[in-house]
Amino acid sequence: MSIVEVSGLAKSFGQTQVFQDISFRLKSGELVTLLGPSGCGKSTLLRCLAGLITVDAGRIAVDDRDITGTPAYSRGIGMVFQSYALFPNMTVAKNIAFGLAMQKLPADEIAARSAKVIGLVELSGYESQYPHQLSGGQRQRVALARALVVEPKILLLDEPLSALDARIRKSLRDQIRDIQQRLGLTTIFVTHDQEEALILSDRIFVMDGGRIVQEGTAESVYAEPASQFVARFMGHYNLLDGTQSKALLGIETTGYIAIRPESILLSDHPTETEEGIPGVVRRRQLLGNIIRYSVESTGVSLSVDRLNGSADDLLPEGAAVRLRIDKSILREVH
Amino acid sequence: MRAEIYHRTIVSLLVLLLGLPVAATLAYSFATRWGATVLPDGFTLSWYVQLWQDQRFLAAFFRSLVVGFGTLAIGTVVVVPAAFVVFYRFPALDKVMGILSLVPFAVPPVVSSVGLLHLYSDGPLPLVGTPWILVGCDLAIVLPFLYRAQANALGAINLRDLMDAAHILGAGTARAFLMVVFPLLRKGLMASLFLSFSLLLGEFVFANILVGTRYETLQVYLYNVRQVSGHFTSAAVMSYFFFTLVLTWLAARLGR
Repeated sequence: MSIVEVSGLAKSFGQTQVFQDISFRLKSGELVTLLGPSGCGKSTLLRCLAGLITVDAGRIAVDDRDITGTPAYSRGIGMVFQSYALFPNMTVAKNIAFGLAMQKLPADEIAARSAKVIGLVELSGYESQYPHQLSGGQRQRVALARALVVEPKILLLDEPLSALDARIRKSLRDQIRDIQQRLGLTTIFVTHDQEEALILSDRIFVMDGGRIVQEGTAESVYAEPASQFVARFMGHYNLLDGTQSKALLGIETTGYIAIRPESILLSDHPTETEEGIPGVVRRRQLLGNIIRYSVESTGVSLSVDRLNGSADDLLPEGAAVRLRIDKSILREVH
Repeated sequence: MRAEIYHRTIVSLLVLLLGLPVAATLAYSFATRWGATVLPDGFTLSWYVQLWQDQRFLAAFFRSLVVGFGTLAIGTVVVVPAAFVVFYRFPALDKVMGILSLVPFAVPPVVSSVGLLHLYSDGPLPLVGTPWILVGCDLAIVLPFLYRAQANALGAINLRDLMDAAHILGAGTARAFLMVVFPLLRKGLMASLFLSFSLLLGEFVFANILVGTRYETLQVYLYNVRQVSGHFTSAAVMSYFFFTLVLTWLAARLGR
């Protein structure tokens, strides 16, 4: 049974259509990412789901209950903001207990439930600190605890990791996924970071221009981009237009041919008789475990990824190479 | 080294220039008689005793406090929610409010009081001669200070996310404002209130032209007793100065 059902959702501010025709279903305990560039409407969509902004059209239902017109506080939703939105005048404990205090629960129950989530987000010992005394990662964990303590049916995360530095971002990302799976919490995660989306999600909804342009598992969205936009956004796909693809591969297309950089094989000591397309290395970028070569062939520039093996395997700029492209994994997109 | 001497000289001269009249007034307020001699004949507290036993002074001081507290109470009740509504619902209005709050600076009190005299001397609202017109004028004077302080505090916090977070957790708008936003504004508000209060205690033009002796405030009283005795007036000025100093110090402390 699906726990969240959204159909035909639309919102515009004045003349500007923020999103339209948004429909999806979430299964219980699923983590779904709304992935898209800034301005694609994903954050506004999240705020509409939370009840912070009213929608112009469409229906939102949770557990078969229509909550389209329900005020934010009675939707059973928890939300974490990019800016943390912690109450600066309250301690960690008061921040976390805020939602329970609003429900006028007895003090001992508030204390017990707060202590439980404080343990869950590993913030024991910080109860009497104020938000300004905490690091970014700690603040976001307080925000997470504050959202979790009211035991929401759905957790909404609005770019919760964007304001954090890379190392903290990775560890908090893993912690969020771990907590989400332990609690079996249905979660919608908004991000513009495709790597984050690929790592975290059970399913990804890619948004562009106020519409969901592709949805599917991380594997399927990455391997089978449905459009030129998704191919560009999800990875560092090489996109060849009709002329380029005819020249390089002998394939005619009215759209684009998408080739993943890691699917091109480079032969670095080519012989005259060897198969493959001749090319020249123009640029080399070190991405850690991967080396990205920019290879030019028949007037087309291609990105080619190779694992960073031994130093002997490094190709210098200007090196002559042969490219081998497996045509079975090419994708034609429009 | 030479630059330091130069800077020190300039600062010392400035302090001397600003401090000398205050020091002289202070000395004069304690002097028994200070006529043809370089130093006073003797020192006494009698001018202060006389002043603080003068019923007319005490009444004027009290009236100034009433007008000041009244103005700031109304000002707080009006400006704090107004600033919140501007920032939360109509951010575009912040510019309008900024211009509006500059008007009291743009029109000199002598000019606007003539208009106010015409408007409120009779007709449906004959306020001239009552403390109410003073409260109204004083509100206009302190509006820029009160509004700006609130606007700065509201601009420095992520108001929308804080309100949204409070809403999702079950607080209504009024509750979210009182529990989350207002505590963040309190410090700036207190500082601006103390500053405004000391400003209002010194207000003379509106008080003299629009109300005068019909509701004699501190500044009007000082003006009216200027002929009585220089020592007595000096004691009054120093009392007022001390009071303002304390308020300004409190404002500076709270504003830190």
